[in-house]
Amino acid sequence: MLNVDINSVSILDEEKARTIIKDIKFDLEKGKVYIILGKNGSGKSTLIKSLTALLPITDYEVKGKVVFNGEDLLISSVEKLREIRKHNIRYVFQDAANSFDPLKKIKYYFDLTNVSPLKIEELLLFFLLPTYKKLSGLHSYELSGGMAQRLLIVLTLLANPDLLILDEPTSGVDYAVMNLILLKMKNFVRDNDKSVLIVTQDINFAIKSSDYIAYLSDGSLTQFFTSDEFMTSTNDNVKNFIGSFKEIGNVTA
Amino acid sequence: MSLLKVENISYSVIVKEETKKQFDILKNVSFEVESGEIIGICGESGGGKSTLAKVIARLINPDSGKIILDSEHINSNKRSRPIQILFQNHGEVLNPFGKISTIIDEALKINRIHKDYIGRERENILDSVGFPKELYERRGMELSGGEQQRAAIARLLAVKPDLLILDEPFSAQDVESQLNLVNLFKRLNREFNLTMICISHDLRILRNLANQVIILKDGEIVESGLTNEVFDNPQKDYTKFLLSAESLELTYEEIKAKQYT
Repeated sequence: MLNVDINSVSILDEEKARTIIKDIKFDLEKGKVYIILGKNGSGKSTLIKSLTALLPITDYEVKGKVVFNGEDLLISSVEKLREIRKHNIRYVFQDAANSFDPLKKIKYYFDLTNVSPLKIEELLLFFLLPTYKKLSGLHSYELSGGMAQRLLIVLTLLANPDLLILDEPTSGVDYAVMNLILLKMKNFVRDNDKSVLIVTQDINFAIKSSDYIAYLSDGSLTQFFTSDEFMTSTNDNVKNFIGSFKEIGNVTA
Repeated sequence: MSLLKVENISYSVIVKEETKKQFDILKNVSFEVESGEIIGICGESGGGKSTLAKVIARLINPDSGKIILDSEHINSNKRSRPIQILFQNHGEVLNPFGKISTIIDEALKINRIHKDYIGRERENILDSVGFPKELYERRGMELSGGEQQRAAIARLLAVKPDLLILDEPFSAQDVESQLNLVNLFKRLNREFNLTMICISHDLRILRNLANQVIILKDGEIVESGLTNEVFDNPQKDYTKFLLSAESLELTYEEIKAKQYT
């Protein structure tokens, strides 16, 4: 469904370009949840933004191809990209509250989806959010960070995209909500034959929610493994990362 | 006697000015901390964890109840407070324009350490938290988040606290940094017999770090005891819920049932 073949992503500093990501190749198929794991500063957010040419061309240079339904997104027109980002490939960014216009009430976003209030209510209920009526009258700054994030996930699901991309969905979220997100993502790909791509540093969430996991470090990505393969990978970076995770859970005190 | 005795602490805020409607953040919280222990406090967001930390550190006064520190365990010659707290936003604790060496020296001077010993003491402390020598002359803002956190811990250790409170030190860190921190706290506890209270929603980490845990929900202690016993054999439904939520194995019905009870 989505074929990614990125040679490099570089930041254009004054004179010399600094490469952040290099040689990334993967294909995303329908009906699966993909996870890219990586430490702080490994380039996760840059990678997902480069997929639909979201990085400003004044500061970044992206070389390669990202093919969606036969179209190379990196050379698509601005109009075409906007359509794709609206209908086909949707993001839920980390700072969800900033994805809303603070001057608009939530009703505005509900109306944009063209979905009946009844159906919206169903999803709101699933994510333990206030009712359609109550939320409609609120501004985004009246929501807590966690609520804004869940609401953004609801709105994104209502757009019914082919590919849903989430950036650190579990940071700052309590475990009950983490469980909800996990359940919904699994249902979403299974029931609608869609794909989900999540970047995170939460290895526990990755193992429980994914069909495939890859590890990003210093701008290079491993292949996508199944979670069993991932946990027994011989890649040194992956081994270290898993080692730390396991060691924390071990009781030695 | 224990180092710290928390007795029937209650704390509430007024949510509506007109009606004087109150919201109880802490309800009759009591527990004891023995010298040299590491106690973990866990629970979900909004459970009152951070408020409890601030009350213990005497940053806010409780509506009722007592915080008793045993004088036997406390060095009364010091001019600094016996309880120090590492806040969640540790980056903002350091003066962004101050050199790390100056920041640590200032803290050392509070307890009137002779100036001939300051240099050595500074190095000891920064060394004990694994802060590299080549960064001593850097300013707060020139450090990464992890380095800032280490410097902030060194700043707290410089006044030789009797009790150190850590408020969510692991959030927003990747697993490798988390593991480094856990090992650092264990070492500080072992080498300096430093008593610690660690607040975290991460049960996995507390299982490793803390000897005792307290489960806090809506301002009340749900369950407490030896970490292994509480986690291996939880008695209360809420503790069981937290444990299964953390392993990400809840069904939708379980999550929903909890929200409305």
